[in-house]
Amino acid sequence: MKIFACTNCDYHSVTSKYTCPKCQQGKLQETEVSASGTVYSFTDIHIAPAEFAHIAPYTVALIQLDEAPVKVTARMDAEVQIGDSVELKGLEEGAFIYTKAD
Amino acid sequence: MTNVYVHGVGMTQFGTFVDRTMKDLLLDACIQALKEAGNPKVDAVYVGNFMGGSIYNQEILGAIVANELGLGFIPTAKVEGACASGGIAVRQGVIGIQSGEYETVLVAGVEKMKHASTADVTQAINAAMDNDSNEKRAGLTFPGFFGVLANRYFYETDASKKHLALVALKNRENAIHNPLAQFRKPATLEEIMEARMITNPLGLFDCSPMTDGAAAIVLSSKKSPVHVRASAQSSGPTQMQDADDLLSIPAIKESGRLAYEKAGVGPEDIDVVEIHDCFSMTEMLAIEELGFFRKREGWRAVEEGRTKVTGDKPVNTSGGLLSRGHPIGATGISQLYQLVHQLRGTAPNQVEGNPRLALSQNLGGTGSYSVVHILERV
Repeated sequence: MKIFACTNCDYHSVTSKYTCPKCQQGKLQETEVSASGTVYSFTDIHIAPAEFAHIAPYTVALIQLDEAPVKVTARMDAEVQIGDSVELKGLEEGAFIYTKAD
Repeated sequence: MTNVYVHGVGMTQFGTFVDRTMKDLLLDACIQALKEAGNPKVDAVYVGNFMGGSIYNQEILGAIVANELGLGFIPTAKVEGACASGGIAVRQGVIGIQSGEYETVLVAGVEKMKHASTADVTQAINAAMDNDSNEKRAGLTFPGFFGVLANRYFYETDASKKHLALVALKNRENAIHNPLAQFRKPATLEEIMEARMITNPLGLFDCSPMTDGAAAIVLSSKKSPVHVRASAQSSGPTQMQDADDLLSIPAIKESGRLAYEKAGVGPEDIDVVEIHDCFSMTEMLAIEELGFFRKREGWRAVEEGRTKVTGDKPVNTSGGLLSRGHPIGATGISQLYQLVHQLRGTAPNQVEGNPRLALSQNLGGTGSYSVVHILERV
């Protein structure tokens, strides 16, 4: 998975920024890490906006990546609990879809 | 710096008003506030509103107010900051007076939501997120964000769904005595716990409702018994995945810190509070971020009844967003409506002991904006 790391401090993010929001000096440089991670938290969305109503209820999780201090918001393909090991299943219309690891 | 005082407040009933237009509600609140202020000459108007354009097809609210009230060719503007639109509008009025540009400013807030379907309103509210992001494309919603926070809060503390229900129950009990509140029917803890799930673990009573309503305030550099002691605003992450600590909303913490610094007071000095309980979980985090209780211990304070009207830190004596209602653009101003009445000694659920310092905190987006005002009885 593509993530961004500051050239000047220990800041990491899954999204790019013009300037590092932590040290406000470094630039964010692209780097590649494994997409595998652990569920940091989650929710099951029962009441969805119009564009997602057809797949409700669905689970959205915040995933802590294993290889970098980065969290990624993803949709799960099944219910999960905090602490579950998960891996990237693929991208769907710009969304990370994760599944439970074996 | 020029001091700013409150001269009048106005507020419509909050609820469902199929027969009233957005303009009607907006002007009603403005006229109440102007009458209470003795119909002063107004130098500028700011209107807080979030979705008038997207679901009501109505913008130019500032000019409509000036024109319909016959205020003359004065400058006006609509202010948008998601659910903090009202609070930010008040802040623009405060800054306008502090700068010396204006002597008296009328600030109003309004939202009309009940004419649209739940799916359409949910979609419109989602405009308060960063929609050009993988996070939005994953299907995260506004209540979803606070559901994710709540599950992590439960994981890291001994809190449970019962503690969120106690927040909702307290605010419902307060709303019962507020004649302008949306929900005045009693609810039981059991009913709250077992209500329909919205975004696990948040059920129907943990989420603020869709509401029609308006509120207004007249601010002036001329003296009155209610002084705006501090006005502060901060921004925070627009995406959940960028949160440094998921159980912290830095915009709330920073706006609170700035407000305390400007007012020269601390959380221990505040006598009565209105905070942005868009979800029961949000109130739990905000009472911690504003320094009223220690981090990850807000749930204990709730359990001990410390945030009740009779507690040592009364929070949301109006019923809060959860039960007073949340007409988005009006919310930040309706908080001040309640606090002004608390300082005058005329509020529903009046706090005993002549409160002197009152704090409001208005949140926009998933922690994107936060505004804090501190009012003082002088």
